[in-house]
Amino acid sequence: MQTSLSWLSTHLDLSSYTTAQLSDLLTFAGVEVEGIEERGVTTDKVVVAQIQSFEQHPNADKLSVCQVDDGSGTTRQIVCGAKNFKAGDKVPLALPGATLPGGFAIKEGKLRGVDSMGMMCSGKELGLGDDHSGLLIMSPDSPVGTPFNQLNPADVLFDLEITPNRPDLLSHLGLARELAALTGLPLKSERHRAQTATKSKKAADDQVMINAASACPLYTARIIKGVKVGPSPEWLRRRLESIGLRPINNIVDITNYVMMEMGQSLHSFDLDKLNGGIVVRLAAEGEKFLALDGQTYALQIDDLVIADSHRPVAIAGVMGGEETGVTDTTVNVLLESAYFAPSGIRRTSRRLGLSSDSSYRFERGIDPQQVQGGSEFATKLILSIAGGTAEDVVLVAGEAPALVGEVTLDENRARKLLGTPDITGDEIHAILEKLGLAKKSANKHESHWLIPSYRLDLQRPVDLIEELARVIGLDRVPSRQVAVASPVEAADRTYDFSMTLRQSLASRGFFEAQTLRLIATAQIADSLGAADAASVAVAVKNPLSEDHTTLRPSIVPGLIATAALNIRQGLHRLRFFELGRVFLKLPNGSSREEERLSILLSGPVSPSSWHGREPQAADIHELVGQIQNLTRMPIEVRPAKENTANFLLTSELRAGNRVLGWIAQLHPSRARDIDARHPVYIAELLLSALRQGSTGPTKFEELPRFPGMTRDVAMEVPADFPHAKVAAFFAAQKHPLFIGAEVFDIFTDPTGTKIASDRKSIAWTLTYRASDKTLETAEVDAAHTAILTALEKTLPAKIRV
Amino acid sequence: MLSQLDTLKKEALAAIDAAQDESALEAVRVNFLGKKGSVTALSAGMKDVPVDQKKEVGAKLNDVRTAVTDGIEAKKLAQQAAKDAKAVEGIDITLPGRPGAGVGALHPLTQIRDLAIRTLRRMGFALAEGPEIETEWHCFDALNTPADHPARNEKDTFYLPDGRLLRTHTSSVQIRTMEAAKSLPVRIIAPGAAYRRDEIDATHLSVFNQLEGLYVNQDVSLGDLKGTLEYFFREIFGPTTAVRFRPHFFPFTEPSFEIDVKLEAKGKDARWIEIAGCGMVDPAVFTAINKARGDTLFDPDTTTGFAFGLGLDRLAMIMHGITDIRHLIDNDVRFLQQFAA
Repeated sequence: MQTSLSWLSTHLDLSSYTTAQLSDLLTFAGVEVEGIEERGVTTDKVVVAQIQSFEQHPNADKLSVCQVDDGSGTTRQIVCGAKNFKAGDKVPLALPGATLPGGFAIKEGKLRGVDSMGMMCSGKELGLGDDHSGLLIMSPDSPVGTPFNQLNPADVLFDLEITPNRPDLLSHLGLARELAALTGLPLKSERHRAQTATKSKKAADDQVMINAASACPLYTARIIKGVKVGPSPEWLRRRLESIGLRPINNIVDITNYVMMEMGQSLHSFDLDKLNGGIVVRLAAEGEKFLALDGQTYALQIDDLVIADSHRPVAIAGVMGGEETGVTDTTVNVLLESAYFAPSGIRRTSRRLGLSSDSSYRFERGIDPQQVQGGSEFATKLILSIAGGTAEDVVLVAGEAPALVGEVTLDENRARKLLGTPDITGDEIHAILEKLGLAKKSANKHESHWLIPSYRLDLQRPVDLIEELARVIGLDRVPSRQVAVASPVEAADRTYDFSMTLRQSLASRGFFEAQTLRLIATAQIADSLGAADAASVAVAVKNPLSEDHTTLRPSIVPGLIATAALNIRQGLHRLRFFELGRVFLKLPNGSSREEERLSILLSGPVSPSSWHGREPQAADIHELVGQIQNLTRMPIEVRPAKENTANFLLTSELRAGNRVLGWIAQLHPSRARDIDARHPVYIAELLLSALRQGSTGPTKFEELPRFPGMTRDVAMEVPADFPHAKVAAFFAAQKHPLFIGAEVFDIFTDPTGTKIASDRKSIAWTLTYRASDKTLETAEVDAAHTAILTALEKTLPAKIRV
Repeated sequence: MLSQLDTLKKEALAAIDAAQDESALEAVRVNFLGKKGSVTALSAGMKDVPVDQKKEVGAKLNDVRTAVTDGIEAKKLAQQAAKDAKAVEGIDITLPGRPGAGVGALHPLTQIRDLAIRTLRRMGFALAEGPEIETEWHCFDALNTPADHPARNEKDTFYLPDGRLLRTHTSSVQIRTMEAAKSLPVRIIAPGAAYRRDEIDATHLSVFNQLEGLYVNQDVSLGDLKGTLEYFFREIFGPTTAVRFRPHFFPFTEPSFEIDVKLEAKGKDARWIEIAGCGMVDPAVFTAINKARGDTLFDPDTTTGFAFGLGLDRLAMIMHGITDIRHLIDNDVRFLQQFAA
């Protein structure tokens, strides 16, 4: 909220506080100061001057030499660079000795050899807006020689963020009340709070009828006849302009002024354009309303409207109607002042996308006890500014709701919660009284308080404790650090495990990415882990843009986008991983969130260097190896029956009967989309499956005491015979001396010279060892022969000799 | 014989001296000390030496054998030393190291989150987590946020067609944790993603990262909140960092505060930077929890607690002087490699 210091100062004398002190005061009361703007000049050495004549500067094309009347009786010569004036114009003149906003000091001097005894100013130079296009031309009736700040007083504007619990601060009076409580300064008057001297009269049904009492418990109307609508006087225009409101006409300006002064939002109708009495009712479904912003709104049955006998004339508390507002021809006015319940106003304002200073206040909650005071104050201003006569009664329908009551404070509880055992009862009482609460009674540790009607936020004991905290501040509260031993939680173990994986990958040369969990619909096809990712993806109902419509069912789309971005930067050796959450729709309509680790690898096995300019590009086995090393698990790669459109070589990664995740090559056509120079390999792993393999402390295994012996075997198998089947054969061998086998060579010859082109030769090393003795050659030979015999029986393999 | 030995010694030492390489030296050894070597041959002649000369000739023979053996040994060492020196000749030690697998890096957000977690764990906080797709109840109702609160609309919050939403803050983990708690105290931190329907620009992301904290027990006071968070921010930003608490408003804490720390940006005066929100758990939250649990573990008359939340993206930006929040989601390697630890 824009708040004017000079406006505030009409309520209390803040002259002993600097701007910075006021800013701190507000900040530590919970009102955030988002901006401070100093307007106008404080010095009286800027005066109104009249330009009598001017001529071209002899030595400078762009300057003029002006003779001006500064009111002193002698003509003053000023050199000026502006062009927007003529002889006779009145302008602000800064005399030597003046200091302008921003610290610019004015001195007598020569400009290109010509004496200049001051400076004529633009609006910007005086801290009034941004207009720097020329001199500020003042109104012709401005008296020459008058200090400028008498006509345009200096001001400081605070841009304040008022938290939603403090609607009472959405007015200058409300802020003044708060500052008075914080500083102990007296308020100059409670002038607008006093209940009106005017008699109220219960409105007859044909005058004001409320048909929706819960949405509008109180409605008042004051009829003022014979007003003269016209521009507002200077002081009123200036007040409104100072806080960024545009003056309209005197009646509308007065209602806006009262709103900014005391927080009571009013509306003025042209009485002669109303048909019959006021009806406060809910709109009919689909009812049309032409608002004063020129838009037609379609209303719904829970929108509250002010209507006459024919049609709605205002969306209650939000915006008046185009047809019934006050215009230049208005003579008779119906002045509305009412209390509208916040929730209805909020709902309507949000649904229509229509927000106003009025709706802003109603939806946060106004003080129902000042509805009539606001009406009275506005009426007084209308009579004095626009003339006319007011009816001597206010028509009142309904009654002010009681929104606050009595709160009991257990002072020991307050001390405990605040952590300030030393705060005395007297101090507590003084703080609350300063804030306008009335002590009804008190005993040793308990006091009962009556809450002022504007403090809608004070409903419970803890609300009073908050007031105490706010006023005493946290400097008063001694710091305490209590450490409590907490048992390790599942989330701790998951976190530690994932950090180990992250660190391990980073030390293997991978960069950790963090991509947005909301992806574009088109990216879903980049997912791994589901045959039809689109069917398991969770879409957002109200996405903000096409780029972020869906919760990712896989991390891979994000990594592919990451690869694309880096390729655009000229990087072709890509090593990325991301560990994070994915979202999957379940058949029953609910969803599952799970942590996954995704890895992307493309390009040379090591960065290029002086040692090797273009190292060999990684193949998919490189990624398998990285995963094996990372997980320290024997991993079975099981090719999938089908690939999705964006992938080749899609395979399941398994450890025993557990699915660890998937691996694939990005389809070359998709890789070309992102201008990848090398094949792109991708894996996605399930964190929970990886963790299952790493529970509990490692169990030590005795080291072998006797040396093992190895035997190599080369065999010929069909070219498409998978390694996994050979490995499975060796894994199944139970010979007591056989320890294990490893492949060490694969040989093919496409020309068919050394081996038929549809065959391949694979070579394995087999290891034999006994736990209790050194083996004899003959024992090893016997075992080896037995295994080779079984091999030829089991596999389509021919042992090569 | 004696003069023969002298000549032989001279010949042998000259031959050793002349041997250019290992094999030449071996040939010299065979020539003189081998089975058929000259020294060996003379040794065999010892039996023909008259008894009175045996002692003298024997000593001489030993002298020759020792001289030749030592000479060969010394030459061997010299040859090896020359070879070893040769082996490193021409190596330019000033060349850059081989890159190996290259250098990777943890994302700066991971690093700052880990720093925060390690710091709070030292104070006895355990980790907690909760779903990112949340119910309105966990995200708003239980957190004392009324149904018509401005945050609860489709302009600011992402909803799913079934009425659930993407959590707007990690504070929903407070609720999840208290719902499931077996006993007091509850003392947790919950790092996680949160979602707001904001256009992405230099200072906003629609998905961002928060860290939530909650401590509930009998007799938790504002002093505990202050002490804990002062400690935390001084651990993060340095022991002399000024920390201040400004009163604020959140629906689920009362009293509520925003926390500022005073930090110096490069070349600028230190200024207060807003960094977190916090407060004492509002009793209405405990009431909602009890109702959901069907017991009174969180009795609002005797239980108190504090909660806090901070933006990790913002923390990372402040800590590292990152000027545009989008760097955190672009994953440009030129950015990431600056954070290689």
